[in-house]
Amino acid sequence: MWSLTGWQSDEPVLIVDDRVTGASDEVLAAGVTLGMLRREAEALAPFATVMPRDQGDETRRFEPVLQTVEDLVPRAEVVAPGLVFVPVAGAERFYGGEEALAHRFAVEMGRAAEGVRGGEPLVGVADGPFAARWAAAMAKVGEPRIVTDTIGFLAGLDLSTLREAMGGEEMIETFRWLGIGTLGDLARLPRDALATRFGDPGLLAHRLASGEDRPLDPRDIPADLVVRMEFEDPLETLDSVDFAARVLAERLTGSLRRRGVAPHTVAITVGSAGGEDRQRVWRSADPFTERALADRVWWQLRAWVESTGVPGGITSLTIEPADLSGEGRQLGLFSDETTLIETERALARVQTLVGPDGVLQGWPQGGRMPGERVSWSRWGETPDLPERDPAAPWPGATPTPHPALVPPDLRPIQVEWDDGMPSRIRLGSRWEPVLTWSGPWRLSGRWWAGEDDADRYQIVTSVGAFLCVVKPEGVFLAGVYD
Amino acid sequence: MLGTDTTLDDLLVVRPGRVVEMVGDLGTGLTRLGLRLLADHSRTAPVVVLDSRGWISPPAAWETGVQPERLVVVRCPDHALWPKVTAVLLEGVRALYAEVPVRVKEQDLRRLAAMARARRVAVVMRGNPLPPGVSHLRLRAIGVTWEGADRGHGRLGRRRLVLEASGKGVAGIPRIIEVEDEGTDVVRLVSDVVVDRVAVG
Repeated sequence: MWSLTGWQSDEPVLIVDDRVTGASDEVLAAGVTLGMLRREAEALAPFATVMPRDQGDETRRFEPVLQTVEDLVPRAEVVAPGLVFVPVAGAERFYGGEEALAHRFAVEMGRAAEGVRGGEPLVGVADGPFAARWAAAMAKVGEPRIVTDTIGFLAGLDLSTLREAMGGEEMIETFRWLGIGTLGDLARLPRDALATRFGDPGLLAHRLASGEDRPLDPRDIPADLVVRMEFEDPLETLDSVDFAARVLAERLTGSLRRRGVAPHTVAITVGSAGGEDRQRVWRSADPFTERALADRVWWQLRAWVESTGVPGGITSLTIEPADLSGEGRQLGLFSDETTLIETERALARVQTLVGPDGVLQGWPQGGRMPGERVSWSRWGETPDLPERDPAAPWPGATPTPHPALVPPDLRPIQVEWDDGMPSRIRLGSRWEPVLTWSGPWRLSGRWWAGEDDADRYQIVTSVGAFLCVVKPEGVFLAGVYD
Repeated sequence: MLGTDTTLDDLLVVRPGRVVEMVGDLGTGLTRLGLRLLADHSRTAPVVVLDSRGWISPPAAWETGVQPERLVVVRCPDHALWPKVTAVLLEGVRALYAEVPVRVKEQDLRRLAAMARARRVAVVMRGNPLPPGVSHLRLRAIGVTWEGADRGHGRLGRRRLVLEASGKGVAGIPRIIEVEDEGTDVVRLVSDVVVDRVAVG
């Protein structure tokens, strides 16, 4: 529920990416659950304000809590804002046992997140991150859940706890169809048979259900895999930090790829002009891809810069893989990892040439005019939620097909009329006779915003078709059916 | 889907390493056709559109079958920067639709075409005619008719685009082809006529 911490109002709220990542109590009471599909949640809680998730901002707000955790036990591993794993094998003796340490965590983290909505800490202790995560999910605020029998604890968990690790519902549904309801049922199946039937994902599911989620045979990390960048002029702006994060992430994943490995855990270290070094470890269930790693580095640097500041600016940035895996990324049936990586790299370079606003992705959005039907986002960034629902009916929308060329603003264009019907249109330096047309379709302007009503025409000439808007002040080109 | 005629494989599919150029007035439908020729590539890799004018509208690409999450638009209004941006894209992408500005040097275009061939990138270039030998296939719009609109009634529906195909892609023998575009991802070649050999630039 860390997503909720940025929401200051008492209004019901739903924080989403493609699934629900946070929700206020009223929204949860309506039946919404974390991880639910956004559309489903919106249907259950239409009264809620829907906000897009911003993991960079969440990381900044999580930073004081992490600082508290690392003051107690060093080398915590961050998975996402709001979720951190801490190795307690050595520290428990220092603090007088698991229970004492878990309570200390709960108290100190609670203090660090005091007054933050949705920031109440839940602490779980178990053998391995997967079990610890679900122990924490079942804990209560101020009452850590300490699991002494990890295998027994896992055996009682529902299969839905595997959703994140499996990347969706498909395999879970298959297991259910086969009569498997809990992780215990799954763990009792022969591993060989599961691997034969379901491949690597089946093997992973069996390992998690059996409490074996740590890599069994971690590889040695060669020292030359550490990547580092030093800056003569300390970096103080977020834009320059973002660029450095992407370049270094590209360098690290590139060198690892040539060795056929990828990191699950990385340590990010910055040096500051003030002489203070900071380090944070990030962990991922899947091996880090170039973009995922660049995002984590960027979130962390942004958190440091915006929360406590980096005294004098950043003078060095180091990324060190803390473990390596031979696993590849889970790809779609037709996806080709090399192609995707090379494309991402080329687009990142183009961003440095044309600027971040020059490399864009469009997403469907509702609207009546062609230009309104696209919500643009910078490539590589999480798109904002569309302002207007693309699935809504939008009466009065310009009919399809959609013009392939749409000027960013309406362009004045000359059209001659004959008895209220278009007869000629000026294209560049020449007049083209209008062969036929359709419309007008009325477009009611927002009078309260000073907009006039307008009429839309599709005008056809021998060289092409055009979407024109007729307003009291003239005729404008709104699209070209190219 | 593409495919009612065996010649489509050569004429209306851009294979890796091939450059198809499109020449014709704005409004003839070449942008949609160019995007449709690359749409199948979006199943395996992003399709990148290099937009010199800033007018490319993604919904038209989505209508032709390009998946929204696999379409990236690069806006490059600076004509001096265009060759460099194109070269960087050709180093990494697998499918590129590029609007070619007027003032790009011939030597730059030749280098870029060579890069596309070497890197096996499927490229569609839209703009003025390219220098001879740069493209594998040239499609020049010579006429367009629309169905559906009728003096105020109806709306734009099916478009028939008459093209002259020339270059290596048609073995040096120019052809007149007629392409039917239903405004969706359905684009059909409805006629294919070999014409007398003509000089094409």
